[in-house]
Amino acid sequence: MENIFSKMEANSGNVLEVDVKNPLDSPHVKTELLGNQDSQEQRLLSHEDVLKKEEDDIHQRSDSDDNEDANLDQAATALEDMLTKTEDFTSRSESAHDTKENIAQSLQGTSFESEIILPKLALCDRKEKKRESKSRKELEEEEREKMQVLVSNFTEEQLDRYEMYRRSAFPKASIKRLMQTITGCSVSQNVVIAMSGIAKVFVGEVVEEALDVMENQGEVGPLQPKHLREAVRRLRLRSGIPNGHPHRLWFRI
Amino acid sequence: MAQAEESFEQFEEEEAEAPLGATLSGRKRLFSKELRCMMYGFGDDQNPYTESVDLLEDLVIEFITEMTHKAMEIGRTGRVQVEDIVFLVRKDSRKYARVKDLLTMNEELKKARKAFDEVKYAGIPN
Repeated sequence: MENIFSKMEANSGNVLEVDVKNPLDSPHVKTELLGNQDSQEQRLLSHEDVLKKEEDDIHQRSDSDDNEDANLDQAATALEDMLTKTEDFTSRSESAHDTKENIAQSLQGTSFESEIILPKLALCDRKEKKRESKSRKELEEEEREKMQVLVSNFTEEQLDRYEMYRRSAFPKASIKRLMQTITGCSVSQNVVIAMSGIAKVFVGEVVEEALDVMENQGEVGPLQPKHLREAVRRLRLRSGIPNGHPHRLWFRI
Repeated sequence: MAQAEESFEQFEEEEAEAPLGATLSGRKRLFSKELRCMMYGFGDDQNPYTESVDLLEDLVIEFITEMTHKAMEIGRTGRVQVEDIVFLVRKDSRKYARVKDLLTMNEELKKARKAFDEVKYAGIPN
């Protein structure tokens, strides 16, 4: 019984952590809080977004056309291997419940665990919440494992779409050329990386909002420009898009 | 054939010389392929409409242009630096988190590559 409560507490702790770290997850977090006792998949969906952002750029870079990035590709796979191997060593179990026990064991030491479980679990909760706020790596590892479970259960269409989501990126050369034409002076590589990433997030926001618009209007099929324009209008109201020349957009047609 | 090539070259020259703001949105499509993959990844149909892709490309270019102009006004005027971009997106949590992640990952990858190269150099005498 105590284990179930501690598991729920640990998970709600995770949810709060995820919320603080990534407000992006707010729609998912709400569904999580409502259905905390429900299946693993809702939790997986919320952590999916976090992981996507963490690992996305590695795949982005492995697909770019620069010569430098061929070496970076090797380094990226090496780094990923390093990270996943440390996962295998440190995460001794699959559920939050077991890692909590491990933390309890490592904290308390040896002999009195079996005798005085209740107060130690109470202590461990507070300590563990501190530890969880510090050990982001453990959270990340758990999320990665859950992501792996989720991705392994994807249908083929979902896998295809997920691969496109992770791998698609703007070509750095074009972005660099565009920005240099605008500024008139050279831009550094970090700036190009940052701008490409932000542009991709921007596309994602517009497309998701447009899909919402389409759903509200009860239509199906590919997105139409009218959905995109309505999405942009809504995002502007929410100040998600910078708006230096409001008149230019509508004269283009 | 030669005439067609000449006119084609002239057309290209005009495109290259013309100012970017007005014509780029009407002429060459920079991101058609990548945008299609991206739209599919974000939830659209597998074959999005060409008009949608064009509209999105214009939106992206406008977005990048706006950000660049604003970044040029912040910090060191006339130059775009990473800190300026981070400052501009500080209100938007998604973009801010994404930029932070990307830059952190980039640093980690640079370190990994450097360490990898050093190991390679150290391991050669074996």
